[in-house]
Amino acid sequence: MSLLVTALAFALPVIFVLVPLAIFLVYSFFSVDQGTIVYAPTLGNYARFFTDPIFLPVFWNTIVLCLSVAIICILLAYPTAYFLTTLKGRWRYALLMLLLVPLLMSYVIKIYAIRSILGLNGFLNKALVTLGILEQPSTLFVFNMNAILLTLTLLLIPFAILPIFLSLERIPQTLLRASDDLGASGLQTFLRITLPLSLPGVASAASFVFVLAIGDFLTPQMVGGISGFTFGRILYSQFGTAYNWPFGAALSVALAIVVILAILIGERFGRNRGTSA
Amino acid sequence: MSTLPRASTIFLAAITTLVAALLYSPLFVPIVSSFFPLSQGNVDWSSPTFSTYVSLAENHDILAALGTTLIVGLCTVVLSVVSGTLLALYYHGRRAGRSFLQFIIFLPFLMPPIISGLALLIFFREIGLERSLLTVVIGHTVFVLAIVYRTVLTRLQSMSRTLVEASYDLGATGWQTFWRVILPNLSSAMVGGAILAFALSFDETMITILVTGTQSTLPVRLWAMMRLGFSPDINALVALILMFTVLLCVLAARFLIPRQVATERS
Repeated sequence: MSLLVTALAFALPVIFVLVPLAIFLVYSFFSVDQGTIVYAPTLGNYARFFTDPIFLPVFWNTIVLCLSVAIICILLAYPTAYFLTTLKGRWRYALLMLLLVPLLMSYVIKIYAIRSILGLNGFLNKALVTLGILEQPSTLFVFNMNAILLTLTLLLIPFAILPIFLSLERIPQTLLRASDDLGASGLQTFLRITLPLSLPGVASAASFVFVLAIGDFLTPQMVGGISGFTFGRILYSQFGTAYNWPFGAALSVALAIVVILAILIGERFGRNRGTSA
Repeated sequence: MSTLPRASTIFLAAITTLVAALLYSPLFVPIVSSFFPLSQGNVDWSSPTFSTYVSLAENHDILAALGTTLIVGLCTVVLSVVSGTLLALYYHGRRAGRSFLQFIIFLPFLMPPIISGLALLIFFREIGLERSLLTVVIGHTVFVLAIVYRTVLTRLQSMSRTLVEASYDLGATGWQTFWRVILPNLSSAMVGGAILAFALSFDETMITILVTGTQSTLPVRLWAMMRLGFSPDINALVALILMFTVLLCVLAARFLIPRQVATERS
């Protein structure tokens, strides 16, 4: 009986998670010949990924893009989270909830709305022209890498606010008062106490945003146009127009490795040390 | 953080306002244009109308997609709550193999959905399972299982052992203890987990695009429509859905935050 229960407890996750991922991994060692998959092991897909002049640059560009998204999100989220912690009681959580509500809105609709804001007739161009910053509407913000950067940032800011807020909130008030009593200025207290103690939250935030950004296919597909080609789009095209599932699987393995590394780094530096007392 | 100079408070408040404006701008656009006609990118404030809501009621295509999404969501909730709760019960207090199993359960949640979706797509093809709503439900269940499992396990771990011991002392059998003591204590966590699972399933797009057959859920339908541009009634739908999800989340928060904590904080 207990053996059966144990078997069941393992079977479900193993069959529907581990087996598909394992098959996917195995696929990356196959190849395609004239539209049919050849089930003979080869390292050709990985060799192609590292030697072909197309894939590695797109891979790096995508990583740089997603790191930029993470940095911009944190630059916006940190002051916001800090402001939240200066508020009292009920207001603090009410405002936090308010900043998280946009997460509930349909992802596809948000991308569509942002695209219309960034577009040639969009709000951003109108505002910039009215303010006199631009002479005429620009196509600089849509269907290119900038558009992907801006859209992902808008979509992912809440994922940066939450972990930073939590780490700031955990800093004991006594530490700040002690620092004040010992004659430190507000800036000194921030730089020596608050900032170092909130870095784990910043690391978690960076890891969240980066992983969500690099795994996203919908945003670059919708706002990237022709020039905004990211790794996710190349990967997806292997299962559509390019029809090379094994190569697509190999690209997925590369993506998975980056994601796992980002999660591990986030875990390593996201742990709170010293504030446990 | 009590004595902040005035200038820095203003700076922080300004950034927060900017962030809030940025976050709400993509919500604002469809909601405003659900009530006011839009022409050439300019909002016509003079004539508010409910016509978008009326035409939504006649858009059978979208309503069918909404129906499909609800069916998928409900099936996903039932499957994930049952299996998530059973897994949590099984692994509560058991060390052997737990971290390995947790790792597997969390994989689809951590991996980019494009990878989970493609892996399932190939898996379904290998075992000869036609793409249909069944494959969509399996995909969603695998995706949300981690959330339900975690929610229920957290509640189990915070449950006092003395409750179970008292039940046994009073002569209850194992089953009686389960039905009368453990399950009632878990119920609010299960409801909270179910709401979260439903919300995630409702908006899941990438995995669904990959594993769905001919029927599409709402996000997939919207995704397909986006290439051509949306008709105005989509804005009405979006406004309604947002209202509904906010309501759901307030509910979820009520179930997930234990009552003592809620009263302590208020």
